[in-house]
Amino acid sequence: MSGLESYINHTVSIITADGRNFIGTLKGFDQTINIIIDECHERVFSTSSGIEQIVLGLHIIRGDNIAVIGLIDESIDSRLDFANIRGEPLGPVVH
Amino acid sequence: MLPLSLLKTAQSHPMLVELKNGETYNGHLVSCDSWMNINLRDVICTSKDGDRFWRMPECYIRGSTIKYLRIPDEVIDMVKEDAQSKSRNRTELNKNRVANSANQRTARSGNRNNFGNRSGQLSGGSGNNALRVGASGQGNRLLAQNNKNRK
Repeated sequence: MSGLESYINHTVSIITADGRNFIGTLKGFDQTINIIIDECHERVFSTSSGIEQIVLGLHIIRGDNIAVIGLIDESIDSRLDFANIRGEPLGPVVH
Repeated sequence: MLPLSLLKTAQSHPMLVELKNGETYNGHLVSCDSWMNINLRDVICTSKDGDRFWRMPECYIRGSTIKYLRIPDEVIDMVKEDAQSKSRNRTELNKNRVANSANQRTARSGNRNNFGNRSGQLSGGSGNNALRVGASGQGNRLLAQNNKNRK
């Protein structure tokens, strides 16, 4: 069984090849790792202000564009104070 | 749920498509295929920097150039309905199939008895042969019908 099967209907964090970070519920995937993310939002990191969350809704992300899929521990995630987290934004994947 | 089934369900719905080059295309999905190639209608294309726009009546996008698609939230519920109604149809089909094959079995065994009677009553003779050909022709038709129903 694919490792992703156990992530279905859980909150995941996706890092894409262009360096963006999407958070949402994994609803499905296929053999090329195209994925369905429900209630998707993007977290935008910056060094000058806190993390900005942009609500996006239902997304299909093409597998080509996915670098990392990680399971989010919701109990830890809900305790984060996004307004006070600073971070350098990621760059794109370099081939 | 497969991403491409969701995409198929999103046909006729508005969507936003971002390409790997950063351009975005807003339009209504007309059709899509198993490579994620898509056909949009009433499209507004936005440049990577977001300050130039082009309106076009339709466009075709090669699947491999897509980064992601943003789809209306309600579409995900419609996939479930689609899948459910499909599986419901399938179970009904199977029920019919079972019923049909039971009917056909009795019809066929009835024919078999007829054959037995005929060959018992009329032994040899060219007329009998003709009858037999006719009857077996009918049998074949029935079989053909069975096969058709199975498909």
